[in-house]
Amino acid sequence: MVAALAVVMVFYPVVVVALRSISKEEIGSALTLEWISAVFNSARSREALVNTVIYTAGSTVLAMGLGVLLAFLSTRTDMPGGRTIGVLALLPMLVPPFILVVGWVALADPSAGFINILASALAGERTTWVSINTMAGLIWMTGLFLTPYVFLMVAAGFRNSDSAMEEAARVSGAGRLRLLTTIVLPLQRPALLAALLLVIIMAAGDFIIPATVGLKAKIYMLPSLIWQNHASFPHRPGLAAAQSLLLVVVGLLCIYFQRRALSRGGRYTTVGGKGSRPMLFPLGKLRYPLGALALLFALSSSVIPLLAVGSMAFMRYWSPYALKPENLTWRNFNYMLFEYPQVWPSAQHSLFLGVAGATACVVLAIALSWYVIRMRGKFAGIVDYAMVLPLGIPGIALGVGILSLWILVPGGIYGTLWILLLAYVTAHIPVAMQFVGAALHRIHTDLEDASRIAGQAWTGTIRRIDIPLMAPALIGSWLLMYVVILREISLVILLYNPSTIVLSVGLLDVWQNGFYPELAVYSLLLMVLGLLPVAALWKFARFGFD
Amino acid sequence: MSNLSIQGLSKAYGAGGIRALDNFSLDFPADQCTVLLGPSGCGKTTVLRSIAGLIAPDAGRITIDDAVVFDAASGADVPPEKRRLGMVFQSYALWPHLSVAENIAYPLLSAGLPKAEMARRTEAMLDWIGLGGMGARYVHELSGGQQQRISLGRAMVARPRAILFDEPLSNLDARLRERMRLELLALRQQAPFTSIYVTHDQLEAMTLADRVVVMRAGKIEQVGSPEEVYKRPRTRFSADFVGIPNLLEATVRSIAGPELVVDTVVGALAARSWRSDWAAGARCTVAVRPTLLSVQAEGRSGRVVRSVFQGASTIELIDFDGTEVAIESLGEERHAPGSSVALKPAPGAVFAVLDD
Repeated sequence: MVAALAVVMVFYPVVVVALRSISKEEIGSALTLEWISAVFNSARSREALVNTVIYTAGSTVLAMGLGVLLAFLSTRTDMPGGRTIGVLALLPMLVPPFILVVGWVALADPSAGFINILASALAGERTTWVSINTMAGLIWMTGLFLTPYVFLMVAAGFRNSDSAMEEAARVSGAGRLRLLTTIVLPLQRPALLAALLLVIIMAAGDFIIPATVGLKAKIYMLPSLIWQNHASFPHRPGLAAAQSLLLVVVGLLCIYFQRRALSRGGRYTTVGGKGSRPMLFPLGKLRYPLGALALLFALSSSVIPLLAVGSMAFMRYWSPYALKPENLTWRNFNYMLFEYPQVWPSAQHSLFLGVAGATACVVLAIALSWYVIRMRGKFAGIVDYAMVLPLGIPGIALGVGILSLWILVPGGIYGTLWILLLAYVTAHIPVAMQFVGAALHRIHTDLEDASRIAGQAWTGTIRRIDIPLMAPALIGSWLLMYVVILREISLVILLYNPSTIVLSVGLLDVWQNGFYPELAVYSLLLMVLGLLPVAALWKFARFGFD
Repeated sequence: MSNLSIQGLSKAYGAGGIRALDNFSLDFPADQCTVLLGPSGCGKTTVLRSIAGLIAPDAGRITIDDAVVFDAASGADVPPEKRRLGMVFQSYALWPHLSVAENIAYPLLSAGLPKAEMARRTEAMLDWIGLGGMGARYVHELSGGQQQRISLGRAMVARPRAILFDEPLSNLDARLRERMRLELLALRQQAPFTSIYVTHDQLEAMTLADRVVVMRAGKIEQVGSPEEVYKRPRTRFSADFVGIPNLLEATVRSIAGPELVVDTVVGALAARSWRSDWAAGARCTVAVRPTLLSVQAEGRSGRVVRSVFQGASTIELIDFDGTEVAIESLGEERHAPGSSVALKPAPGAVFAVLDD
């Protein structure tokens, strides 16, 4: 039952998007191919398509390069501070991407960014060293934002490399460089490929950066255009659906190849458990320069933008000449936290959705994992496969699908918090399931069998044995879900209405009005609300898939 | 405790339908220890898990004290938690989030015993398995042998109708395995309980069993007391499994009731068979345990191929016209490769003539 529900929940948005993109009006009206051809033929859409490709390619290359390099340097070389950099590299996962955006605007706005203020001070008035309002700026931010995901997927493999394999290569006469290119990197091929495809999906479907800095710089991309086609005149939901369909197809292809890469990874399985620590590659003279560089990159994806946001929050107004002590003020905090009407409703909605969504995801993930892994039910294969799909569907496209269906249901859930909850749960179940599934796989079935024989039915066994044993992983995935739901915007941007506004949408509102110091306060609020439960439950939680 | 009975159990795995159990029937008498002995894949674990209710066989019936717990024909399948059995796992399967006492008390908790009664019986069990005062510890703080004892205590505490042992000692190192084997034996002598014990280790089977069941490819190869199985294997497979490497071609010379005299390459041997239809001159195979042969000066001689010193004993391989015969002796005497020796059976030795 739960399984069937989950499969329907996952499949219908895809079907609906496809139907909507070939319907003239709402679903059920005459069929047409005009929307699909418009994706490639209308000038704006074609421009967005090209931009999306450049943006995706650029940020993927940057994220892969940085992620693999940082992972390698921090796990497999004698670079100083490797562990610290490893932790720093993962920090951006805890920092909402909006902070990264606001932070880099504060740093690299062509006129008022801190870096350019410094440039003007050093090299004369109105010097601009860097500008965030360019394609390069967008790629830079997205690349930094995606780096930790690459790092996470690759570093574990590097760390668990079987030292015996490398020693065998050394004994067989391979030098260090040859060892690196013929053994160490090829062994990580499945992880690298999986990371690559994940990053492509995330970059192509990324909404927040195209919708903020991208629109400001008039660099249009598919996700932001989908939003525009829905939210501003002229409304073209059919075109939006067709554009979504394109993203969905690309995403599902990536997911397909990613699964294939991972399942073929079986022959690469080398994690033996014991064995000595793998050899560290000596960097020689490059140790400290590389260490410093790695530190700089690790810092620029979280700490530096965070500091920029922090200082921006205290500025009375934001302009090239505002950086003076007399302009420092608490006023923004006072205004945003106590006077701005949207803050508390949006925070309440977000907290409700975060708590309810994370709980629903984890509970459903337990039920589904149990069904797939332990009961191996008739539909286990389908459920397992269906649960992967949402990973390939960009949030904005999922939003289009959910919207297109529920808009047709009179007096239904459209315009309520429930539709947002539904969207969040649909989108995030796969990740929850990966965590819970990994935790369940770690529990030896003997432990359950022993409980059955000792007189507990399977319900009692789950309650007394599995859940206590999985508790750290369950708490970990709950926290992850909560943090991700709180910051999520692409999914809800089409589904919210003024009475159900959430924090992330509220942030976008303030962005569009251009009140940057207020925006800084608002985004800090989002981060703090996200991190409070993390801080409270941190020591009980366990993260990761290992 | 209880009688347990299996009739016509079959189970196939996977699409190819590999038969793990093939029309398997056996009775397990109350208070006895029945050991299922066989190599991996012979179906012994499938029998055990079917009894426990952890897997459902494709065909057959299982009864405990005349109550049907599984019957493929009627669809009856009592879930494991209702069968009132105990089980000791190879992996111990102790719960890491519970203390030693909580692990042991778990079956009592499931049975809904009052708290005081539960505490009393848990304490008694801890004392009985020699872990008194360690109830508050956690499992990972204890050694492998202690963990195995907790596992046993948990299996026994609720006074189950039978206890199932799934290769419980194979995760322990050799010395600990020996000690635990003797401890298990002592526990069973103190208070007999119905046990069904699965292992591939013939030494465990010989020490612990009241009855040994040798299994092969889902079927019973031989059932008997440890002594019977050890001394008189019925088949090549059983002989190999109880550690007899010498399977010699022989001819029946004379028959006197159950006693036979057979001619082999090493000379005439006294033998006995499970079959009674032998005629003089018939060809047969005898299983000759290496320790029951020793060197003598006179008689048909063979050539020493190799002499291997292995500590407690010496194994010598002797070639008789292309048939290699192994002997094992505790003596100091060794023979140089190439030298000629003749063999004689130990006084009173009766060898097994195989059915096949």
